[in-house]
Amino acid sequence: MTWLDSTVHRALVEAVLVGVLGGVTGVFVVARRLPFFTMALTHATFPGIVVAAMLGVNLYLGGGLFGLLVVAAVLVFSRGRGQDFTTATGIALSGGFGLGVVLVSSQDGFTRDLAAYTVGDVLAVSTGDLAATVAVTVGVLLLLALVGKELLLAAFDPVGAAALGLPTVLLDFALLAVVVVTVVATVPALGTILAVALIVGPAATARLLSDRIALLFPIAAAIGVACALAGVWVSTVWNVATGASIALLVGLVFGAVFLATALRGRTRRAVPVRA
Amino acid sequence: MSERAPTLVIDRASVAYGDVPVLEELDGVVHEGEAVALIGPNGAGKSTLIKALLGLVPVVRGRIEVLGTTPAQARRDVAYVPQADTLDPDFPVSVEQVVMMGRYRRIGWLRRPSAADRAEVAGALERVGLAARARDRFGTLSGGQRQRVLLARAIAAGPRMLLLDEPFNGVDAVSQHALLEAIGSLKEQGASVVVSTHDLAIAHLACDEVCLLNRHQFGFGPTGDVLTPERLRATYGGHALELRGDRVIVTQT
Repeated sequence: MTWLDSTVHRALVEAVLVGVLGGVTGVFVVARRLPFFTMALTHATFPGIVVAAMLGVNLYLGGGLFGLLVVAAVLVFSRGRGQDFTTATGIALSGGFGLGVVLVSSQDGFTRDLAAYTVGDVLAVSTGDLAATVAVTVGVLLLLALVGKELLLAAFDPVGAAALGLPTVLLDFALLAVVVVTVVATVPALGTILAVALIVGPAATARLLSDRIALLFPIAAAIGVACALAGVWVSTVWNVATGASIALLVGLVFGAVFLATALRGRTRRAVPVRA
Repeated sequence: MSERAPTLVIDRASVAYGDVPVLEELDGVVHEGEAVALIGPNGAGKSTLIKALLGLVPVVRGRIEVLGTTPAQARRDVAYVPQADTLDPDFPVSVEQVVMMGRYRRIGWLRRPSAADRAEVAGALERVGLAARARDRFGTLSGGQRQRVLLARAIAAGPRMLLLDEPFNGVDAVSQHALLEAIGSLKEQGASVVVSTHDLAIAHLACDEVCLLNRHQFGFGPTGDVLTPERLRATYGGHALELRGDRVIVTQT
């Protein structure tokens, strides 16, 4: 018996990891205005998971590879005549999810497995899932530590970054790949549909609290960890769905902070300015 | 002037996005310490020429030589100043962080800014008169101040050539003055300046040469010689109806 043999212990570790990972990645997602892309990605990785299940290979590998394929497709489509990133993302979202549903409906028997996959269950994560989340978290934190300043410039001023000679397409792909692996690593805990909550919510909440990007990362990670742990606790005490509890708490925390900062702003300023 | 070294040589150059030609048959030379104004109506290709000077849009015919080499290879010594309002004002980045971006090329990959880099950033902000706003979020500044921050970012890069895309659009008098001062001091240090603008007064004030553009070149040379009513009318396709003092009044572009 090791400490990680306990379902609850594994759930707690996974909660901390996805809280940190979602929060940190989310800072870039929110600053770069990519929540819709993230939402699309969670749906578009779905066919990859279905194909992986049909072939009997690792589901996360399938979802992750398909996610990268979708990123590449979105980047190519958005360069087409009269297209933009949002349009291409919308097509990837619906097309990817549609493909997944077609594949599922062509098969008998494994719809139940996939149902668990769409809403997740942090209490069911295996040691293998945990190892995958650790690897992704370490990888993402390392990448941000190493090329964080270049990612920041490419996000803020793409033409300026290109003018400096930075490989902006590569940096874009790296950032979107970070979102892909974050989505895939968060899926066991929250499922494909709810994973977006831990990526967008804590970072958006942090943004209400600070303008400083160096502070946004720890604040978002702390909120993500707190919501994930509290969600595990809520779901075990009241015996309700874990992923949904986490997503709900993230929403409640954002709402509470939004109200608090709005009220504080009102008392501070005689004339309210545009938010 | 002409004994100074040429920093920009444009020789029968045509610039195109894919198959779509944007600018054709451009010619001109700029020397160190000189400023050239790019003047022409909206859609004339001014921004495209600036991107071509950065090597971001290909030269399909002829030749553009920046600092004695190709535009892409010259980037290390070229600084680009975008229009401030093309950048997201909600982005969580401080004024000093924006200026530090000008140092990234010198700092290099995987490295962090040193004390010397921070000193350069502080000095650049001083030169545009915004040292006191270093810690503020970029988006909280006025449009003119944001434009000055972007110029400070270019100054921090220590460029030999400065490319500015419509820096005076929607900029108040204080910021306009600060921008002109900073550009003037860069010129004195030997940097060449290419600036696109609609403002003929600024072209007269700050630039030694003018390049009149509207898909083709309608003139390139000393400001006084090129900024004539006839040439402006030709550039603006006959829509430059009135020239009053330094201003061209355009009814339709």
